[in-house]
Amino acid sequence: MSHIHISLEHVNYSYDTSHSVLKDITFTAREHDAIGLIGANGAGKSTLLKLLVGLNLNYEGSIRIEDIPVEKNTLPVIREKTGYVFQDSDSQLFLSTVKEDVAFAPRNYGLSEDEVNRRVEHALANIHIEHLRDRQIYKLSGGEKKMVSIATILSMIPDIILMDEPSIALDPKNRRRLIHILNQFEHLKIIASHDLDMILDTCSRVILLSNGEIIRDGNTVDILSDKELLEAHGLELPLCMQGFSQISH
Amino acid sequence: MSKLDHALYEIHHMDTLADKDQWLNRIHPLVKLIVTVSYIAVTVSFHKYSLAGLLRMGVYPAALFILGDLSFTDTLKRLRIVLPLVCFIGLFNPFFDRQPVTILGMFTVTAGMISMVTLMLKGIFSVLAAYLLIASTSIEKICSALRMIHIPSILVTQILLTYRYISLLLEEAGRITDAYSLRAPKQKGVHFKVWGSLAGQLLLRSMDRAEAVYQSMTLRGYRGEFYHGGNTRISKKDTAYLLVWSCLFAALKLI
Repeated sequence: MSHIHISLEHVNYSYDTSHSVLKDITFTAREHDAIGLIGANGAGKSTLLKLLVGLNLNYEGSIRIEDIPVEKNTLPVIREKTGYVFQDSDSQLFLSTVKEDVAFAPRNYGLSEDEVNRRVEHALANIHIEHLRDRQIYKLSGGEKKMVSIATILSMIPDIILMDEPSIALDPKNRRRLIHILNQFEHLKIIASHDLDMILDTCSRVILLSNGEIIRDGNTVDILSDKELLEAHGLELPLCMQGFSQISH
Repeated sequence: MSKLDHALYEIHHMDTLADKDQWLNRIHPLVKLIVTVSYIAVTVSFHKYSLAGLLRMGVYPAALFILGDLSFTDTLKRLRIVLPLVCFIGLFNPFFDRQPVTILGMFTVTAGMISMVTLMLKGIFSVLAAYLLIASTSIEKICSALRMIHIPSILVTQILLTYRYISLLLEEAGRITDAYSLRAPKQKGVHFKVWGSLAGQLLLRSMDRAEAVYQSMTLRGYRGEFYHGGNTRISKKDTAYLLVWSCLFAALKLI
């Protein structure tokens, strides 16, 4: 039986008292799981991801990462185990060069400079961007920035990878490359996205959120091929399942 | 290129210069910082009439322009706003200090004129020294040098993040003005009636962006202290660089 990495029980969250963003969220995720978090705009996907790394606290219920409750005093330990990739790479990358940015987390965790360098090299090699090592961040393309953003979390050697809309603003080639890289990772992955084709290619399990509630949690193909279910919650079938007749139309 | 884009380009260009693999760039940042501060201290300590002594201090920026392979013309272009302001400080000295010092043909040189020129030179040399430091040293390395001499972490982090946030602010301002100009094609600049709302938008967006950057930092273990890493050892070459300039500054001051 694989180890449970993430456990949420009856989690409720609201930014203010009048409106609940997440309602009674309960699920568990095990190591090596690849979970797609889908839902229309405002469904609560990003909020849920942020709860998992303690960017939003003051929730009701229980959130445990590797059996550690997500609380203010446990955040350093939890964040060491969890890599979070922002939707906007420019928010993630704030130092001048790729190497400096990828080395930021290992240095914060007090590793020796030799170990920091080793981790930087390993993270860059993992996603085949060693050639970007000494490049300045502002000179990178959108696709390169996304890859570097992923490298910044890989240098932490996380157990869990959380991604918020990773394929947004990527051209088809970079998107395909991202999918290939995601499929190489054996970490527990939770990917929030509207790109259902990417979810289909990278995740074995899908959680469908609507108005802050989990509507369905199950096999990716089952959920993503259920046209009525998706359309009832503001989504559509993945393009690859829509058929040529609709494309020609 | 709009003014905002140009400002952003200039910041990025400084990063590129600091990132070059040059002899000067490889000198330890702490050594360069100490040499720069010493140079400025010695320069401003010259007596207000000591023009000849002060002129000799020009050897330091001249040498660094050569060692760092930096363009003097580009530097003047970049400092075109600051340098006139620096020069402006001494502009009134000739009116207050009219004591004649020497006569050059028909022209009487007064003490006020000499003190004006020395004041201007002090300003120009100091600005050039600071420019040469940042053109050959990345902001991260300068901040690491500041931490080595125990400047409080909170202050150093402020410097680093302020430098980084300037780019974010300019990018946001660029997006807002681009969006405005596309929908106001016949206007030159931004109409004063919308200055308030545009500034408000800029502030809110920059705060959101800054918050996201801060979240990204905390998620990667940031707890109030920047660890810069890199080479923290001062080599023999660095020591020699420090000694040569220190001795030269002392000699130029004492001659």
